[in-house]
Amino acid sequence: MIIKVQDLYKNFGSLEVLKGINCSIKEQEVVVVIGPSGSGKSTFLRCLNKLEEPTSGTVIIDGYDITDPNTDINYVRQEVGMVFQRFNLFPHKTVLENVTLAPIKVRNMQKDEAEKKAIELLKKVGLEDKANAYPSQLSGGQQQRVAIARALAMRPKIMLFDEPTSALDPEMVGEVLAVMKQLAREGMTMVVVTHEMGFAREVGDRVIFMDNGQIVEEGTPKEIFSNAQNPRTQSFLSKIL
Amino acid sequence: MDVILHALPLMIEGAVISLLITVIGIVLGSIIGLIAGLARLSKVKLSKILGTAYVDFFRGTPLFVQIMLIYFGIPGLLNSLNEYWISVNGNPLLSNTSMNIWVAAILSISLNSGAYIAEIFRGGIQSIEKGQMEAARSLGMTHVQAMRYVILPQAFKRVIPPMGNEFIMLLKETSLLSVIGFEELARKTQLEVARTYASFELWLTCAFVYLVMTFTFSRLVDRLEKKLETE
Repeated sequence: MIIKVQDLYKNFGSLEVLKGINCSIKEQEVVVVIGPSGSGKSTFLRCLNKLEEPTSGTVIIDGYDITDPNTDINYVRQEVGMVFQRFNLFPHKTVLENVTLAPIKVRNMQKDEAEKKAIELLKKVGLEDKANAYPSQLSGGQQQRVAIARALAMRPKIMLFDEPTSALDPEMVGEVLAVMKQLAREGMTMVVVTHEMGFAREVGDRVIFMDNGQIVEEGTPKEIFSNAQNPRTQSFLSKIL
Repeated sequence: MDVILHALPLMIEGAVISLLITVIGIVLGSIIGLIAGLARLSKVKLSKILGTAYVDFFRGTPLFVQIMLIYFGIPGLLNSLNEYWISVNGNPLLSNTSMNIWVAAILSISLNSGAYIAEIFRGGIQSIEKGQMEAARSLGMTHVQAMRYVILPQAFKRVIPPMGNEFIMLLKETSLLSVIGFEELARKTQLEVARTYASFELWLTCAFVYLVMTFTFSRLVDRLEKKLETE
């Protein structure tokens, strides 16, 4: 198990957002997390690289207990790429610099080596011709693909996606999902919070339905989408499908 | 007219000193301000308290009082300390307790501008979207690396307009240094007025010289701002 979450609780002040999450994810597995807004799915994802500090419970990533204060979280984060809803590219840096910054500063890679790898990754997401553009010159879909390349540049073992297509115009959703599908085919371990049910059905090995800070139901896409057992899951799916 | 022409070289000399002390104040103030601004944003309680106390004191008291405190107050304190030392040990602790006027001028102007610049930097850093820090940290950068490579470069761009304002404010405020006899533009004017009694002509000229400097500088900042915008 590359990800192991036990009894994860997270409070914001008096608000309980996560109420005891237990979950294990295998290497190369693609897990899609769905659920209504406010169900805690993004918070759950953000606990997996400690962007949110869990209130209690343990989160073990590739053998490292990141809830242990003695764990070097900056090291573990190098293994866990993250893609955000709002892309969060660095606006003062070119596309190429966005992709090479962390490999150079964190992994101490040589600049020309980092650039060579970055160009390869930009090719993979279909944007090698934008290497010298600034993020503001790109469309949302292009920015998100750069963000994926930036995360991949650290050679992570796990990729986290936090509603990666929610801020995109509809015509750009496809190009981002295509890149994610390719990643999944190549065997990347992925945890994806999304409202794209087509993606969940097609690419997901497992679908987790969250509601009210808990995992209500999980199973293969087929089990969840065609044969959900829990009435909350059924009611959620009936509203969106 | 004669009286103005006669005083002008001296006043320009004073203006150069005013500009010089302002530039020094902005440079040292930026260093102090960056440290104090970061201290105020820090999670460490002590540095937060120290940063806030510094900013509150220097923004909450008049520059006039700060200048007096540094030029007259500190030597006074050192004198009392020396007297106490002599009464205990028989010999003085410090051989010289006087304050150099340039040191007092630089110290008061830098500490004062540092407090305002700290707030400018703090605002600039806080105006950067939270997602920038998160993206940087998610890539494995430390907090310091994320600040250095991602947050501060963006914040510096945003603080240029308020820094330009601060420069103009500070240039005008250096005239207060005349109260300790520091010979910048206002003091030079005062001395010439005392000599010639041409109050109106010379103070008007003085105002005009300040205006030329502030006007030129604010146009320069405008241009720089436009250039950064298009980049």
